[in-house]
Amino acid sequence: MQDEEVAAVPNCRVRAKARIIAPVQRELRLAGWLSLAAGILWPIQAGAIAWVVSGWAAGVPATDQIWTAAAVFILCAVLRASLEHRLGALLHQAADRTIERERSILISREARAPGQAGSASIASLVVQKLPLLQPWITRYHVAMVRVSVLPFLFLLLAFSQSWVVGLTLLVAGPLIPVFMALVGMAAEDASRRQMDEIGTMNEMLMERLSAMLDIRLLGGVDRAAADFSDRAESLRKKTMAVLRIAFLSSTVLELVSALGVAMVAVFVGFTLLGEINFGSWGHPLTLGQGLFLLLIAPEFFQPLRELAAAWHDRAAGFAVVAELDALDAADRVAFVGTGLPATPVAGAICIKTQDVVVLRADRQVRVPDFEFAVGETLALMGPSGSGKSSVLAALAGLLPLHEGRIIVNNCPLDADTADPWRARIAMIPQRPHFPDVTLRYWLDTGQRGADPWHALRLADATEIVERLPHGLETRLGETGGGVSGGEARRLLIARALHTGADLILADEPTADLDSETAARIIATLKKMQRDGRAIIVATHDPKLASAMDRIVEVGQ
Amino acid sequence: MRNVLRIIRLLVAADPWAMARGAALSVVVLVMGAALLGLSGWFITATGLAGLAGIGIAFDVFRPSAGVRFLALGRAASRYGERLLTHDATLRAIAALRVALLRSYARTDAKGLARLRGEIALTRIVSDVDALDGLLLRLVLPILAALLTHIVVFIVLGSLVGWSVALVIFAGYLPAAALVLIFLARRTVCLSAQAEDVGQQLRRGIIDMMRDREALIVAGQLPRSEAGLLAMDDQARAALAHLDRAERDAASLFSILVALVAMGAFAAGAYLLEGNAIGPAKAVVGLFVALALAEAVLPLRRGVAELGRMVSAAGRVAPQTAQASPAPDAAGDTGEAPLLSIKRPEFELDFFAGEAVVLTGASGAGKSTLLMQIAGIDQDDDIRIKGTRPSFWVEPELRGILAVLPQRSGLISGSVRDNLSLSGSHCDETLWAALETVALAEDIRARGGLDTRLGEAGSGLSGGQARRLSLARILLKRPEIMLLDEPTEGLDDHMADLVLTRLRTALPEALIVAAMHRGADHRIFDRSLRLVR
Repeated sequence: MQDEEVAAVPNCRVRAKARIIAPVQRELRLAGWLSLAAGILWPIQAGAIAWVVSGWAAGVPATDQIWTAAAVFILCAVLRASLEHRLGALLHQAADRTIERERSILISREARAPGQAGSASIASLVVQKLPLLQPWITRYHVAMVRVSVLPFLFLLLAFSQSWVVGLTLLVAGPLIPVFMALVGMAAEDASRRQMDEIGTMNEMLMERLSAMLDIRLLGGVDRAAADFSDRAESLRKKTMAVLRIAFLSSTVLELVSALGVAMVAVFVGFTLLGEINFGSWGHPLTLGQGLFLLLIAPEFFQPLRELAAAWHDRAAGFAVVAELDALDAADRVAFVGTGLPATPVAGAICIKTQDVVVLRADRQVRVPDFEFAVGETLALMGPSGSGKSSVLAALAGLLPLHEGRIIVNNCPLDADTADPWRARIAMIPQRPHFPDVTLRYWLDTGQRGADPWHALRLADATEIVERLPHGLETRLGETGGGVSGGEARRLLIARALHTGADLILADEPTADLDSETAARIIATLKKMQRDGRAIIVATHDPKLASAMDRIVEVGQ
Repeated sequence: MRNVLRIIRLLVAADPWAMARGAALSVVVLVMGAALLGLSGWFITATGLAGLAGIGIAFDVFRPSAGVRFLALGRAASRYGERLLTHDATLRAIAALRVALLRSYARTDAKGLARLRGEIALTRIVSDVDALDGLLLRLVLPILAALLTHIVVFIVLGSLVGWSVALVIFAGYLPAAALVLIFLARRTVCLSAQAEDVGQQLRRGIIDMMRDREALIVAGQLPRSEAGLLAMDDQARAALAHLDRAERDAASLFSILVALVAMGAFAAGAYLLEGNAIGPAKAVVGLFVALALAEAVLPLRRGVAELGRMVSAAGRVAPQTAQASPAPDAAGDTGEAPLLSIKRPEFELDFFAGEAVVLTGASGAGKSTLLMQIAGIDQDDDIRIKGTRPSFWVEPELRGILAVLPQRSGLISGSVRDNLSLSGSHCDETLWAALETVALAEDIRARGGLDTRLGEAGSGLSGGQARRLSLARILLKRPEIMLLDEPTEGLDDHMADLVLTRLRTALPEALIVAAMHRGADHRIFDRSLRLVR
């Protein structure tokens, strides 16, 4: 078990690299070269400064060389700025492409075939966490390239001037990667915990907000706030844990590099004073050489420190990829077909179910065998929880069949026929859910731009819309806040009528309605039947059920 | 801008002492960095000259080299302290701000609560608040620290080396850096606000799409909705690409500025040297200090590029935090008054413990509104509970005696136990008893007991089961007044009868006020009131 876990870590890193880094390898390589080119400009600038100061020591007039040196220095700076500008653009493109790809995978999968993850945590992954891949892509690889070249270059330069300075750097330098490897694991764990907490907090918050009315009325606001406060605190602690590791490691690295530089400075100082007579090649160190060494010593450590910082970005990136991988591997329930608008299936509506069993989260629902044809109305009845809604979902191809088959218009309901079949269906769900769009947009499910008033009249819903302050431009609350339960129900019915579909699948269409309105709705349904529409309802309402031609018991 | 200031005050107020120490340390870090490089440069040059002059023995090497070590260690330590203090204080303030926002959403009235869109409030509490965490850390503190450091450096350098060198650095960095930053801000303020805005739309769009999934599939609109989100993503990324470009431009200008100022300081030192005002060792100090100050200037661009995002987030968050405090809470119980009295155009009635009243009336007649009025979260001028207007009650006390079943069951993902415990914890026996009363115990037991997991918004339960679970939840409060909006929704007649009967038996002393469409003639009801619009 332990071994498996240990083996799994490098394995998932390899996968993470293959997934995120490999596709942008070319940009990263080019960016690496550009950053090297930018890095080797510094010794030239350092040389220019050293040349001027050693001229002062040799008695050259102070302002003789300064403008030449300044020109060289500034030219190098301009060159470096433009190199970095270019490489930044490359890296941004690489990261942008990656985020685009991962986002489109998530966006075009999570609603089609949802797994266990809630909508809020998926949204936080897409919007909040995917961008965390960016620093990994833009910083880590370039830092790696710089580390594998620049320190050696500066080391070589240092050795060429003084072997003691070279040796000092050689001893101090490797401490950094060793230390980094030590904090690396801790950083990765901490990042993963932080990512998890972000998801949990988002999901918890979304749920509490959606149920806020109930919570307020239950007197649970304080408790919900306390629960949420725990989550927010926990996120703070986990974020702080990540930051603490990052701060601590960067401080240690800064100390190592500062001490390395200080040792170089002190050694150079003593050598220049003539108190130390070893460490250089043949002749004693000159002032120019000393200054040059002092200027390049911090740059020897710089790439190592950059890598250490990027190490944390990589850890965060791995944590995000781990989450993406987990989502890839999740169990999903897909619907049947593609969901694209399709030419409606031809022929009069007829349905036949044969030994159908559908899977619903934790249980199986057996669909009774029945036949149904256009012009008929049918009521599905059965005790609460017996699976009436699942039967309706299966008939619309929203749930895959576990066993048996459904024949619609003489073809089995499968991936090819589901979309043309659905083009003739309208559904009236049990729980109203209003997305954040205007009523006009919401009523027009096929976005055909047709006038909704006719359908509203049919469903007895005109006055509901007229009473709303913004009429058809109103945006209702998530579950229809702004209108009463019965009104929301009538709007749902209007929407179903507005589609022009000739099979209506209605889940409790008379729920929340007073007996008069319910009677009117039933009359509307009967009228639709006379117009040639087929209607299947799932209901508890005996009045509605008795108004239907037939009753099929579910859950027997 | 006022909103930004309010948020800044809020962030600082969370732990002003830690913030102040952090701010002081951030100046210390920058000053020490400048001093370190300046001293090192001076030290090397001075020792080199002393060596050449053959007076090496007389040169005091120990104090400067100790100074170099002290500054190196001190800077690293101060940086660690500064980061830890400011980040910790900010994150604390951020966590508190999130909770305050959640509470402010909970405080709104019935209409606000019914219209509350979870995903919008979510983006406020998560995205907007996240956007604000950089306000102090990446904008205010770095700018303040950079300004102070420049002033300190100007004075010290002017008196130690020469005012011309100090002036070159001060006048070279500050106006030019300010110009670059202002230019960057003007270029990015709309872009970054837009990027944030589209990002939030994307977040809400994803939640909406996943929650509205079935309707979208049946309408053949799922691919279209996906395409809409992908287009949004393109828009967000395009804004970010422009933003990145602007930031890189600023970074390039800054690094060229550093080179120009450093060389300017170097040349100024050289001219002083030529005029014999100072020696070579002092002449190089300006150059090194100018190079070190890059550290104060370069990071500023990040915060400034985020300015638009922060301002727009502050504009949304600050008004929400400032929303009216809870209603004036006067005392409750006034002795002999009836438990509940309602005055309406149609009737004026008192209600007492143990009664059961049913409200009827056409859809839209105001049954739910009346219940919300009694519950104290809607206009309640003509309602008295024990003689006091509901909204004048102390909120927890009112919730203690009053329980409401709203029209739509608001369940949450998590276990059955989590759902039952929204208002407080109870032992398992109590929970089971409540489930038994609403005839749900059998179903829950069959599905795995109190720890059965429910999906998003309680999905996984049928409509009737969800209804009964919500009922069980309010039973657990053992209220004096029970307001039920369509309690038998989604239940068949037999089940509806069973639940109502057991409800009455379970709480014989409670006043029940129920709005019902079907089953209003049930025997538990003593009175029936018809509402007309």
